[in-house]
Amino acid sequence: MERRDFFKKAIAVAGSAAIGGTAAEAGETVHPVDNRKVSDIAFPQKRPLITYSDRPPLLETPREVFTSALTPNDLFFVRWHMPMIPTYINPRTFFININGLVENEIKISLEELKTAFEQVELTAVLQCGGNSRTAFKPTASGIQWGVGAMGCARWKGVRLKDVLKKAGLKNEAAWISFNGEDKAVYNETANFVRELKLEDLNDDIILAYEMNGEELPYLNGYPLRLIIPGLYSDSWIKMISNITVTKEKQKLHFMDHAYRVPDNECECETPENLVQKTKPIEEMNVNSIIGYPSTGSKVRNASDLIVRGVAFDGGHGIKKVQISIDGGKIWEDARLDDGTQGRYAYRSFTYTFKPKKSGKLTIMCKATNEKGEEQPFAKDIKWNHGGYKYNGIDEVTIEVV
Amino acid sequence: MTSLTKSILILLFMSTTLFAESDSGITIPYVDFPMKEGKGMYSTKGKCNMCHSFGYVINQGLQSKKFWREKVIKMIVIFKAPIKSEEDIETVTNYLFEHYGNGELE
Repeated sequence: MERRDFFKKAIAVAGSAAIGGTAAEAGETVHPVDNRKVSDIAFPQKRPLITYSDRPPLLETPREVFTSALTPNDLFFVRWHMPMIPTYINPRTFFININGLVENEIKISLEELKTAFEQVELTAVLQCGGNSRTAFKPTASGIQWGVGAMGCARWKGVRLKDVLKKAGLKNEAAWISFNGEDKAVYNETANFVRELKLEDLNDDIILAYEMNGEELPYLNGYPLRLIIPGLYSDSWIKMISNITVTKEKQKLHFMDHAYRVPDNECECETPENLVQKTKPIEEMNVNSIIGYPSTGSKVRNASDLIVRGVAFDGGHGIKKVQISIDGGKIWEDARLDDGTQGRYAYRSFTYTFKPKKSGKLTIMCKATNEKGEEQPFAKDIKWNHGGYKYNGIDEVTIEVV
Repeated sequence: MTSLTKSILILLFMSTTLFAESDSGITIPYVDFPMKEGKGMYSTKGKCNMCHSFGYVINQGLQSKKFWREKVIKMIVIFKAPIKSEEDIETVTNYLFEHYGNGELE
């Protein structure tokens, strides 16, 4: 084959949405890999986390953290696309640039963001679209996350809308693109740029400089990141330093090929029959995780056991969380927290019972949102090539002694 | 060393670590992701690890030969990895499939 032909063919392969997956038959979806060990090496401003890569840093939060409604900053998961991350940013000289189809191209300093705009706070779940990807069989393309590529924090910042207003949007403005300070090794590599349709802009989308009352950790996007409550975190750009307003949607790998699912009712496909028409992953599915106990925990027979966990969805709100200790036949309501953190936040839950006999015991939890959507059993979740949007009923198996 | 000098040194050391927070930036630790020994290891190491850790590769899970080949091509076409010849593509694909494969060609 001529070299030119070869690369032409290569582009056809790489350019299609059909990257990843194998021709093996889709198997039954299982529970994600659980109980991976944290690394002995702690990353800066973090406690030791499950470590998949150092360049770029890819860190997962262990299950045990999901007992409380807010995830501590030093236990919050980390996911970057580009390996070159600034390890020092001077907050006094940092600016975010607003350009493109605006009346005035402007630069805004952190200080100005903190003083010249209305300050807003909200609590929202940040979850990778590929969280729990290890559930999918055959192995879907992407980082093989367990359940911990998520967290929930109280974010403080300014509305994106207000910042755009300051620059003044031109009439033909239709798309907003976001870029952060992370870079690839080669200049030729495109940045991790994401876009939002102007019509999807709402008051809850903010540029946050604070996370749980502290500066953002570097690895979570210091000094500024985009927060898009209710949506998977693919567009929550970290170390955000540029916003460009355009009329047309740009051609971007990370918009056009990554973070997409089949555009059909089940958002599913098979490895031998990949769906050509895709859509962005966007709104988060209803989900819940048991933080305590975890698989392998030993508990006393006939003694109070308090099951703790968190539940969330894409912003409709959690209606109920139910627990089953008989394999999913009988479900009983867990007690939810007061919900004052808002519809985008974790609802923490507890369920107290006394195990009645010794031996292995499986505890399951299932959340239902205000729309009436409830989590399916893992085995009923159909495959997609990127292994996105898993939200199977969680379970842990403990030993009653 | 007198115990006084010792204490001063300890205090100095403590204060530098205390101040070494976000004001002076961070240092990202190196984490070793050992590669399995085999034909093509050095070539793969040079071509993949130039841009990202080997952890990023192996955490894709065990995959088919087709998957690994497409990943290598994606790195070239989308991410502009300077892998020029088909021979190099073969070497990397074969190494990854041999050691991190699922046994399936497709």
